[in-house]
Amino acid sequence: MSVTVRIDPTLCRGHAICALFFSDGVELDRWGFGRVVDDRADSDRLLKRARRAAAACPNGAFIIGDDAAGPTSSGVAIT
Amino acid sequence: MTVVPALSVEPAATDARPSAPLTIGGFGDPGTLLLSGPTATPEGEDLAGHSQRWGLLPDLDGAGVRALLRDSRLDGRGGGGFPVSRKVETARMSPGHAVVIVNASESEPISRKDRALCTQRPHLVLDGAALLARALDVDEVVVHVHRGPASASGALSLAMAIRRAARLPDPGWRLSEGPDRYVSGESSAVAGYVDGGEARPRFTDRPLAVAGPSGRPTVVSNAETVAQLAVLARIGPMAWNALGAPSSPGPRLVTLAGAVTRPGRVLELTGPGTIGDLLAADGVPGPPAAVLVGGFAGTWIRGDEAWQTPFSRESLDCLGASPGCGLLAVLPHGGCGLLETARIVRYLAGESAGQCGTCVAGLPRLAEDMEALAGGALRRRGLRKMSALADTVLGSGACGHPDGVVRLIRSTLDVFADDVVRHLAGSPCRGGADPPILLVPDPAPGPRTDPGGWA
Repeated sequence: MSVTVRIDPTLCRGHAICALFFSDGVELDRWGFGRVVDDRADSDRLLKRARRAAAACPNGAFIIGDDAAGPTSSGVAIT
Repeated sequence: MTVVPALSVEPAATDARPSAPLTIGGFGDPGTLLLSGPTATPEGEDLAGHSQRWGLLPDLDGAGVRALLRDSRLDGRGGGGFPVSRKVETARMSPGHAVVIVNASESEPISRKDRALCTQRPHLVLDGAALLARALDVDEVVVHVHRGPASASGALSLAMAIRRAARLPDPGWRLSEGPDRYVSGESSAVAGYVDGGEARPRFTDRPLAVAGPSGRPTVVSNAETVAQLAVLARIGPMAWNALGAPSSPGPRLVTLAGAVTRPGRVLELTGPGTIGDLLAADGVPGPPAAVLVGGFAGTWIRGDEAWQTPFSRESLDCLGASPGCGLLAVLPHGGCGLLETARIVRYLAGESAGQCGTCVAGLPRLAEDMEALAGGALRRRGLRKMSALADTVLGSGACGHPDGVVRLIRSTLDVFADDVVRHLAGSPCRGGADPPILLVPDPAPGPRTDPGGWA
């Protein structure tokens, strides 16, 4: 089971709670806005943390995605 | 934007093939294709004139059009340069009925080529749009423009009405007019607006061609891009492809700006021409101080280097630049590149959609730093902090807006390195009092966050 996480920067308001729970995968910039540096939540431990981060974000900006969903995972990027 | 090839549909570029002769010209000039026909008039070319020169739209089915896209290797001309064929094939593989949008918003303030094309050759644009609709088997196309005094909406809506009356085998046309803001021309903003939302970029986890705001696969294609499709359907993909520089398919439109004879002039390049050839065609006598290539979010190239550089994707790529939207903005000798960049960065900071925190917080700071640098008020430590700030901002947004600002600043610091040293020592250019060279619009007071501004 492989799951990836994302932060929607249009929703992030810099509460930084995701960085407490998903600390290995999220970095905060100087204003406290989070950025995903490692998007894999591929163990039970990481998945649990990701779920906590997603539940705790007051803006719903921390998103857990299903890696099997759609052609994004096959590397098609379209500008 | 990064492009990760997943579906290899186009053949490799062949530099060995003989290249077409070099031609550069504007509307009505000999040797042009897209711009061939009458010289520019207020009304643009009508359907009779268009049909006389180009004939009827070739009777191609969807598979035929897709073969054209594949064989020609037509690349997007809005800025991203993404192969159209791959967008179309992705949309076809994705579930749902596709949405086709022609993006004629041209939100790049001093670019003119899309507006000029839609005003002067509306039927060429609509021919191409009709072909794109066939490729995706859809029966409606939305053509999106920005409101404003220079909008091509009048010419386009007239051309649509004439074609309906003439009962051409067209898809249904819908003209969409949106707010005239810089980021509103970005493809996810256009797709969102057409879907009934705000004209602001979206955070998307899937490409638009997989699933747009409506959930349906959405193909957004620039106005020049579809006009090129209309041309290549007539002359054949191989002939069209060979009209580009080796490894950069087809003819290209550019807009000249800054210290040129006629700022805002649109030229068509056929064959392996350099930036120098394009500028010389407008009477620029020799290499200027520098050229900003590809738009406000583009890349500065030193004048002598730019003069020799072919205006092709591959050659520009070697210099970290890209054709972008086709803008060539010229900085003359004696002009201050730091000052011009500071004006652009201030403008771009005001054009943030106000959605992503790092963009909202970071761009005004970068603008302040650039202004301090241009005014001789920044010191080495300040410059280091600005560079660190730029690193933070890069890649932070839902769209490429902050990245464009960072790219511009980095290329400025690189190309104008000698000027930077002088400014850091507290002696800015005398040019500070001179009128602006690039006609950068007045900046907005800050990011516009009220939804009314994006409707």
